[in-house]
Amino acid sequence: MNDGWNIVVCVKQVPDADDVTIDPDTGTLNRSDAPAVLNKPDHNAVESALALRDAVGGTVTAITMGPPPASAVLQAAVAAGADGGVLLTDRAFGGSDTWPTSLALARAAEELDADVVICGEESTDSSTGQVPPGIAAHNGWAQLTYTESLDPRPDEGVLVGTRDVEGGYERVAAALPVVVAMVFGANDPRPAGLHRKIFAETEFEPVQWTAADLDIEDRVGLANSPTKVGGMDTASPVERERTRVDSVEALYDHLAEVL
Amino acid sequence: MSHEATTAGGLQRPDLQTETPNYDDAFDAVVVGAGLAGTAAALTMARDGLDVLMLERGPAPGTKNVFGGVLYTPTIRELVDIDDAPLERYIAEKRFSILSSDGDETAISMRPGAWRDDPHNDSYTVLRRRFDEWFAKQAVDAGVTLVTETTVTGLLRDGGAVVGVTTDRPDGEIHAPVVVLAEGANSLVSEGADLKERPERDAVAVSVKEVFKLDRDTIDDRFRLDGDAGAAYQYFGEGAVGEAVGGGFVYTNKRSVSVGVVYRVEDAAAGQTPEATLDAFESHPAVAPLIRGGRRIEYSAHVVPEGGARAMPDLVHDGAVVVGDAAGLVLNSGVHLEGTNMAVESGYHAGKAIAAALADDRSDAEALAAYTRDLDQSFVVENLRHYDWFQRTIAADRQFLFEDLPRALASAETEYFKMDRTSKDEHTGAARDHLVAAAGGWFGAAKRAWRFRRMLS
Ligand SMILES: Cc1cc2nc3c(=O)[nH]c(=O)nc-3n(C[C@H](O)[C@H](O)[C@H](O)COP(=O)(O)OP(=O)(O)OC[C@H]3O[C@@H](n4cnc5c(N)ncnc54)[C@H](O)[C@@H]3O)c2cc1C
Ligand SMILES: Cc1cc2nc3c(=O)[nH]c(=O)nc-3n(C[C@H](O)[C@H](O)[C@H](O)COP(=O)(O)OP(=O)(O)OC[C@H]3O[C@@H](n4cnc5c(N)ncnc54)[C@H](O)[C@@H]3O)c2cc1C
Repeated sequence: MNDGWNIVVCVKQVPDADDVTIDPDTGTLNRSDAPAVLNKPDHNAVESALALRDAVGGTVTAITMGPPPASAVLQAAVAAGADGGVLLTDRAFGGSDTWPTSLALARAAEELDADVVICGEESTDSSTGQVPPGIAAHNGWAQLTYTESLDPRPDEGVLVGTRDVEGGYERVAAALPVVVAMVFGANDPRPAGLHRKIFAETEFEPVQWTAADLDIEDRVGLANSPTKVGGMDTASPVERERTRVDSVEALYDHLAEVL
Repeated sequence: MSHEATTAGGLQRPDLQTETPNYDDAFDAVVVGAGLAGTAAALTMARDGLDVLMLERGPAPGTKNVFGGVLYTPTIRELVDIDDAPLERYIAEKRFSILSSDGDETAISMRPGAWRDDPHNDSYTVLRRRFDEWFAKQAVDAGVTLVTETTVTGLLRDGGAVVGVTTDRPDGEIHAPVVVLAEGANSLVSEGADLKERPERDAVAVSVKEVFKLDRDTIDDRFRLDGDAGAAYQYFGEGAVGEAVGGGFVYTNKRSVSVGVVYRVEDAAAGQTPEATLDAFESHPAVAPLIRGGRRIEYSAHVVPEGGARAMPDLVHDGAVVVGDAAGLVLNSGVHLEGTNMAVESGYHAGKAIAAALADDRSDAEALAAYTRDLDQSFVVENLRHYDWFQRTIAADRQFLFEDLPRALASAETEYFKMDRTSKDEHTGAARDHLVAAAGGWFGAAKRAWRFRRMLS
């Protein structure tokens, strides 16, 4: 395995969380004004992918599924150091929920002959966290979710992940190919180099694949999405009961009484 | 695990480009800062066929801008189609008002009919966050490469000449024949590289500004406006800036109102805090009703150059030019607070000069000097020179202008319009006495009138 691993990193375009507001009257997310940016947890995914490449060699290919402007997040990944990018874009993908989304990403990963697929923990706009396991399930590959760090063993063809579990951590060795979901904040994403950033934003062009290219045109889109949104509601904060006490003794008495 | 690129089903493989190209001297010019001056320079150069890289520290142009005022568009109009620009309101009314700290207000308001007609005297309120982004997009459409979230940290030199910039990014140096310093009033790069001196304390003002959200109808009613009409109110006197020398302003946007004060750094250093000053201004009985019920959506502070022509640094250097606020090109004369038009005008002239110099394969100061000459002949330097005396004159007359005059005017008005059983003639006499006394007798009044004659000349 001296030519390294094929590492694929999944990046998603989301509305800038700082600019998203909820319309209190309709309960809908007001995304239209918010500029689209790279999903924050995906910065951790990109960093893990690059660190993995540093460790074992190979290449990092960023993929995203979305409308053409989503290629901006591929630029961000390439600016940080990814070697190339693929934009999965097609009207047929419109209205896809997590099932067809992960199918499309899974097919693309297969097409790219991926050894490792790295995702973020969840997206900041839908935050289901279902896509990474979905990719693994569609392809029948191993998965490492809630991963805090990666320890590659290229000689054994194994990737060891340290997973966050209740009360501690566990280390799991997965045979390749494997899908990884990195914990949000697991690492410190490297800033893009100036020349690399200029390259990504001026010369880099992702290739574009359609649903038909991936042979899944009949299995994606709204019609193939099992999620049905029943309704939306905003929760108003509950008014807490408050009592003001003047001294520590009074506070003690009060607590003793309540408990 | 085979890594041979399989061309399954003829699917186009991604082009893997691990090597990063080097962009040293790939651009003709690097512009530091995508504000009005930088964008105007970049756009001008791109139109003249140059490859331009514009670096901006904010996530988008305008995000770091705190200006809350009136954009003057005579030069921008020549560069871009202003009808597509995100403008808030045109200025239909200017109002100058003197406030005493006792709650008195004396104001003069003007609404020339001509301002209602296109091009509205080239004066519009804008939200810089939106406007700068739009303006920069016009430059990008003309071929400029804009790279954001990148802070320039210093200049590269070869001998004495500037040959590029350093940034806060890894692999962050880039070489280019010319660097345009358009970094605004807080010009750390220009100062750090000795292209200009740290401004003297008396050559900068501090400003704080807040934006209040209000309904469009409420704004229209309070300021007596229709459609896209807007108002620019300027305030002077102790009721506006307390013990300091400066002024306050209230400008209407579509659905918000900007309120702020601008005064000498010296006064801030002497202990008059920006928060307290703005707070007192906003609580003045003449101002409070304008923003009543508004939700505060923004608070910001910034410096404004006000050194005038005498504080202007050298504008050209070997391999570099300085434009806009970084060059101190702001007119803050009391009646006028203008920097936007000067920023754009200077960027335009700088861009033209750079294109001409590079066409001769030169980038030395002498070759770039056309910029200094053209700016010198433009309204920019002319206006700065004309009003140079102003700051010093008002500072010297602060007590009279900011404290005595506002009170005397109020007393005179009270006297002149008084309803009682004495004659109008006696009221007029008493009113005149208040004013003359405040001005230091007839002789003092004449002296002051002479000193300030240039304000309207
Ligand atoms: C109730 C509900 C209803 C929805 N209805 C619709 C709808 O009607 N129409 C519609 O278009 N969308 C809809 N969505 C959004 C859509 O389901 C998801 O945005 C999409 O399937 C990805 O799921 P996620 O954002 O939860 O990803 P997560 O599983 O939270 O994301 C984890 C990681 O997966 C990767 N990833 C996720 N999505 C992508 C992608 N597109 N490209 C590359 N990598 C990715 C990233 O690495 C990300 O960090 C809905 C979502 C919900 C929760
Ligand atoms: C409160 C206030 C009110 C004002 N009111 C008015 C008014 O009503 N009318 C008027 O005409 N003028 C007004 N002005 C002045 C006007 O705002 C300025 O003259 C004008 O913005 C100058 O434009 P500029 O392009 O030179 O600088 P700026 O608009 O300040 O732009 C500088 C740009 O450079 C970026 N930058 C800075 N340093 C770096 C770096 N190291 N690396 C990369 N990027 C960098 C900044 O983020 C910014 O985008 C006001 C100013 C203030 C503060």
